[in-house]
Parts: sequence; C-alpha cells; structure tokens
Amino acid sequence: MTDAPGTLLRARNLVKEFDVRGGGLFGRSARLRAVDDVSLDVRRGETLALVGESGCGKSTTARLIARLVDTTAGTIEFDGREVQALTGKDLHAFRSEVQVVFQDPYSSLNPKHTVERIVTAPLVYQRRPIPGGARAYTGALMERVGLDPDHSTRFPAQFSGGQAQRIGIARALAVAPKMIIADEAVSALDVSVQAQVINLLRRLQDEEGFSCLFIAHDLAVVRQIATRVAVMNGGRIVETGDRDQVFDTPKDPYTRKLLAAVPRIRPEWDAARRRNEAARRAREQEDAQR
Amino acid sequence: MIRFLLNRVAGMVVVLFLVCLFTFVIFFVLSPDPAVQVCGKNCTTEAIDQIRANLGLDRPFWTQFWTFLSGLFAGRTYGTGANAVECAAPCLGYSFQSSQPVTDMIVQRLPVSATVAIGAAVLWLLAGVTAGLVSAVREGRFADRFIAGLTLTGMSIPNYVLALALQFLLVVTLRWLPFPHAVPFGEDPVQWFMNFLMPWIVLAIGAAAVYTRLTRANVIETLQENYVRTARAKGLGPGLVWRRHALRPALTPIVTIFGMDFASLLGGALITETVFGLNGIGKLAADSITKNDQPVIMGVTLLAAFLVVVGNMVVDLLYTAIDPRVRVGSAT
Amino acid sequence: MSEALLRVRGLTVAFPTASGPGEVVKALDLDLDRGGSLGIVGESGSGKSMTSLAIMGLLPKGATRSGSIEFAGTELTALRERAMRAVRGDRIAMVFQDPLSSLNPYYTVGTQIAEAYQAHRRGVTRRQARRVAIAAMERVHIEDAARRVDHYPHQFSGGMRQRVMIAMTLSMEPELIIADEPTTALDVTVQAQILDLLAEIRADTGAGLILITHDLAVVSEVADRIVVMRDGDLVESGTAERIFTDPREPYTRMLLEAVPRIDDEIGLLRTTAGEAES
Repeated sequence: MTDAPGTLLRARNLVKEFDVRGGGLFGRSARLRAVDDVSLDVRRGETLALVGESGCGKSTTARLIARLVDTTAGTIEFDGREVQALTGKDLHAFRSEVQVVFQDPYSSLNPKHTVERIVTAPLVYQRRPIPGGARAYTGALMERVGLDPDHSTRFPAQFSGGQAQRIGIARALAVAPKMIIADEAVSALDVSVQAQVINLLRRLQDEEGFSCLFIAHDLAVVRQIATRVAVMNGGRIVETGDRDQVFDTPKDPYTRKLLAAVPRIRPEWDAARRRNEAARRAREQEDAQR
Repeated sequence: MIRFLLNRVAGMVVVLFLVCLFTFVIFFVLSPDPAVQVCGKNCTTEAIDQIRANLGLDRPFWTQFWTFLSGLFAGRTYGTGANAVECAAPCLGYSFQSSQPVTDMIVQRLPVSATVAIGAAVLWLLAGVTAGLVSAVREGRFADRFIAGLTLTGMSIPNYVLALALQFLLVVTLRWLPFPHAVPFGEDPVQWFMNFLMPWIVLAIGAAAVYTRLTRANVIETLQENYVRTARAKGLGPGLVWRRHALRPALTPIVTIFGMDFASLLGGALITETVFGLNGIGKLAADSITKNDQPVIMGVTLLAAFLVVVGNMVVDLLYTAIDPRVRVGSAT
Repeated sequence: MSEALLRVRGLTVAFPTASGPGEVVKALDLDLDRGGSLGIVGESGSGKSMTSLAIMGLLPKGATRSGSIEFAGTELTALRERAMRAVRGDRIAMVFQDPLSSLNPYYTVGTQIAEAYQAHRRGVTRRQARRVAIAAMERVHIEDAARRVDHYPHQFSGGMRQRVMIAMTLSMEPELIIADEPTTALDVTVQAQILDLLAEIRADTGAGLILITHDLAVVSEVADRIVVMRDGDLVESGTAERIFTDPREPYTRMLLEAVPRIDDEIGLLRTTAGEAES
C-alpha cells in the first residue's frame, strides 16, 4: 500500500462486532456488527466529519481509530504505520499523536485534579519535559483556548460546560497532536457556547495544522466545520465527499433524507434579518458620528 | 421466556452440584478420618477397617462421591449381607453420635426453624416497610429522624447481646414472659406464641432496620422519577400516583433481598436458637459442630446451601413476574 | 377574532437557597391565543422548563410561585389542588423531553394512556378506556395499535415512545399542550416526524401549543409567537417573523448569529453581538 502524499490516516474495511449474549447456559449468542466494512481517509490538516444518527456506528469507528477498542477486521494506517501492530514505545507515541475530545467534558476530566495537572498529564505520562515549567505551559495553553491562565489551579467543577470543554481541548493540544478526534465534542453545549467552541477548533486547526476527525449528529454543525463529510448509516458509510458536494448534491437517498429532516430558519427571514442588521449598524454609526 | 426458565434451572442444578462437591471434599476428604471417630476410644485396626468398608471410605474419591450423590436421590445401603442398613433417599448418612439418620434429625427440627423464620420475616417485613414508608413520606421531619435513630440502633446491636438483654429484661426482671420452652401450637397457642416472641423480635430487629433504610431510599428515589411527574401531569390523584407509580417500582428490589434473607434464615438461626434453647436446625448445627459430628454438619450445610440456591431461583422467577423489562424482550 | 387561552402575568418562581430565595423565573408575562402556538426559547438555566411546571402546578418541593396564570378565564393560582388536578391532563397536557424515563416501565403503554382518561371521566369501563387508548395510538400513527397497546415502553423505539406520550395527551383532547423539549432526545429524522405530528394534531383539534426548546431552528418552524428567556428573565417577545427578522435585544441577535445553519454562508459563527469569539 502506498502512502498518498497528504494522507495522515487511512482506514480500510474496518469491521467491529460485539457479542450480544443471552446469558446462562442456553443463552442465544448473537453478534452485532456495529461497524461494517468502513473505509476512510483523513488528509493532513483537514477535518473529516463522520455524521449519522444514533447507533449508526460513528462513535465505534472513532474508538477503533483511536485504538480504544480492538478491530474485528480491517486495517488502520496512521502516518505510515500500522496502528494495530503498534506496541510499547510506538504505541505510546501514537497515543500522543492522536488525541480524543469527548462529549461530556465533566466526566472525561478527573474532578479531583487541577487544570494544571489535567493539561500536563499527557506530557507527564509520555515522560516528556514540560517546556517552561508546568505553570507557565498550562497558562499559555489556557490562553490559547480562551481561558483565564490565572485559573490553572482550579478544578473542573468550577468551570462552565463550555469552559470545561476548552480544558479538554487544551489537554489534547498539550502534546501537539497530529490528529484530534472530536467525539460529539460540541453536542452537549448551549448554542452560543457551541459556536464559541466550533470557532476555537477552527482557529486552532489553522494555527497548528492538525487533522480532525469530527464525529457528530448535527448536520448544521458539521457544515460549519468539515472539509469533507462521510455519512454513516447502519454501520456503513453510505456517502463520502467534499462538504459542498455532500450538502448541495447528495447522492445517497439516506443523505438526502437526513438533510431534508434538518429544521431550518426560513432563508427569507435570515435575509431580512441581515438587511435589518446592516441598517441598524449604519444607523448606529451615523449616530456615533453625529 | 421458556429459554430464560431453562437457563435458571440449569444454573441452579450446576450450583447445587458444586455445593455438594465442595461440601463433600471438605467434610470427607479434608477432615480427620471419620472411621476413627465413629469407632471411639477402644478401637482395633480391624474394627476401623470394618467401619471404613461399611462407610465406603476404602473406595476411590469419585466412587465415594457418586455413592453420596446417588444416596441423596435414590438412597443407599451401608454394609453388606445381614449387617446391611438401608438408608432411604434423601440419604445424608447417620450421625456419628446418636446413629440416627441425619435426614430424620433435620426433618424433626425443620418446623421449629421454619416457625422462627416465618414469624421473624413477617415481623421485619411489616415493621421495616412501614417504617420506611413513614420515613419517606415525612422526609426530613421528626418522624424520619426518629426512625433513622432507631434503625441505627437496631443495626448496631449484635444478635446475641439483644437476645440476652431481652431475656433478662422481659423474663427475669419484668416477668412478662415465661422462660422459653417448647410448647406445641395445638396444646397452648398463647404459650406457643409467647415462646417464639423473643426469637422473632431478636431476629427481626436487625433486618427490619435494613429494610427500613432500603424502603425509604427506594421510595424517595422513585418519587423523583420522571414517570411520577408524568403521572401527576396526567391529573391522577395522589393515591393513584403513590399506589401505582411510586410503590411498585420502589418495593420491587425488596422482593429480591427478602427472598435471600428468608431462605438463609430457614436454614437455621445459629445464635438465636441456641440462646433461647429452641431445638431448631441452628441449634442442631451448633451442637454437631461442638461434637464434630461430621454427617450432621454436612447435612445442615447442604440444606442451607440448597435453601439459598432455591431462594435465589424463586426471587429470579418473582422478578420476572414483576418486572416486564425482564419478562419481555426489548424493541420489536 | 382570537380569544386568549393563556395569560400569564408577573410569574415568578423561587427556590430557597442559602442566601435567601433564588428566582429562576422572574416576573414573566406570556400570552397565547386559542389554537395558537407559542415558542419559549432559551439556553440551559434560562428557566424555560420551570415556567412550564409552574403553569401545570407541578413545581418541585420547596419552590414557590407567585403572579397570575389565567387559563381560559380561570385563575389557576387560585385553584385548590383538587380543582387543579381536574385541569391537569384533561385541559392542559404535557409532553416531556425524555420519553423513556417519562413512561413507567412497569405498565403497558395502553394502561398508561387509559389511566388519564379514567381519571378524568367518571364511570368509564376498562374496555372503553382501552378503546380510547387504541384510538389515540392510531391517531399518532402507531401501526398495529390494537396489538401494541399491550406492549411495555421498553419495547418501543425512541420516536415511537414519544408518539405514545403524545397519544397520552390526545386521549383527553386538551385545549393546551405544553411540549418541553419534545424532540431533543431524538434523531433528526424522527424529530421531523414528531414535529409534523404535533402540527397535524393542532390542525385537527385546535389545541394551543407551548413549545419549549433550546433549538431556534425548530421553534422557527413551529411557533407563531416567540418568547426568548435568559437566566429567568424575559428578554424579548413577539411574533416569530418579527423575532427572526428584526431581533431587538443584543442577546436575541447573538443567539440567532450563533445558530449553525445548513444553508447559510460558512464563516465565523458570531457568539456575542459584534464579536466573533470571546
């Protein structure tokens, strides 16, 4: 297999089956195929969004790629290395190159650790020196994700949901990863906070150049952040393509059904609002000049 | 559903088999040679050999175990020829001390233990669930705190202390109750009742405290459930909301622990029976342990294990009847 | 000529806290015409759900309610619990967010639909109530209702459970349905079906609807009047068209800017009025 330039992650024919056992001696054991022959590429610096409804296998796929669970079949190649074959030091390195940001910030941050300890934990775990010392390093990271660096000795519970999610992102950034897997990372947030976190992720990606695998069910969010989109249904990818192609000319009937179901604010209302907003600003400017 | 039942029954058979095996290993293989004990002090080597042959101790382990198992289900014969003794199923062997069949000894004492267990269970269930409900309804008020204090006391007093204290207070000091002695129910029901009252109370208090706490916690938790809010939003009266939507889910877990507690109590209350001189299975166990009467200890152990396993099974079945999520599979 | 169905004035809900009573809803005014639909929009902690529970008289223990709630000419705050119970479920019905936890796992859906009917209609036989339950389930398009009526909640999918919840409200033909985040726990395709169903029912029965949601796109499709709430305060209210085309308050403008859109330009989502990222 040749590594096409620019491809960071290459997953081929991934399959994950789970045993669903009836229990006991006469239990009927069944196998549930959560991920069924999934192939995808994530290129360097891009955001691939994996979208689908609950139970479609998108989160399991993310876990397979992060090597949080083992595959039943298929291959995953990350930066030219076979992920399933990694052991010892190489696995260690992989764990720092791929960082995961989860949906619920509170349950994925240790409530008894300070922000400083949480953010520098990946470095400590890697036995890497902390550039400039833990306090300064944490402060710098917190500033970059839009948090007050003076709060580095606080605990997760002292932050709002959006802020806690920023801590999760800061932790992921601490080891300068090559790829961030965001598993429904903005789904639980209020709309205004969600927008902030989306903007933050976009800005950080511009600055750092990491790739992103963005797992989400909300198509409107996906459209704001994705370079390319893969749509999953029933464990399979039904359609992959550039964002505009998938949203403007969807090929698969399921994608079309999904897009049609998204609630919309009437475009004419939005247009009118923008006109009114522009007029209001012009008026305000006039008032200010007077 | 049938698959589920088969599973449970099969599981029970396996557990019982393992229980038999372990008990057998502990009492007949790991303990000192039973033949020596049967034989007594002035004993010859020939006599011991004779007894060993009689008990089948000279045969290989698996043969012995098989004989023991088949004795449980089909009975067995000890010795040969004229000396042969027929032991009918379920055969648990003979007491080394009294030479009585162990099965008979247990059967004789079962009614006493059952009486103790049933009475105590009724008492703690009534007291525990009632106190728990009162506590839940009056959460945070005086009644709740008062009951919380009582349960704490009830749970921290050891059985034997309570037994002795009650006996001293009610029998010796106040003379409200006669000193316990066995009277058949038919002869004098009042006397019979008085006789069992103290053991019942002693056994019930600890469990009642546990059941109070459990009931209180379950009811308070259930009242927070969204479906209780839905029931109120439908305009159901408080009676219906309580009876139908709060009590049933709250009391279901109690069924589970009740079955287990009751079953293990049926197998004898060692301390309480001994203290009150009740001739039940608990006392039988205590006596046979002091005299190292292996067949009896083993019989009692097997019975207790059997009751717990069966109790567990009954609980499972009850749960199936009560909780539709277990009874019927999910989404179609 | 429209007639007022619900008129709320100065509604305040408070919880006792260590530092005196904390108000989660502050002096709220709401108006809903008969057959109309009102959307209450807000982020978490805005007090929108407490508002609905206050109208139903189902506030959690310890909460206090003040102000006036006039429903079809009756002052609800003056009603005794018994009279309020007659209104609840019969004239005002509620659909909750999480249909699985909102249905009792121990009873069939039929029982749970029928019990509301039996509670409000004297002398109803079991058979009649069951027929009503089946009819209600058919009305929310649950196929094979005569068989499904005997199934338990866990045997239904998420969308079907929410249909059951709606069927429960329908059996009484209420004048007002309050739906608190009815589609938040559901997949987007199922959400669309449930919103269609609510619209269909309103058209058929003429019931008024209060839709409580955090989702501006959803409310824009359903409501004709909108109330925006934040931290217990009413920020702005008006017709849906006015709020969406000419929002007056900075908070409303910010909310509308922050909504990611599926058919809009792609760019920075504005999170506070005039500024891209805080």
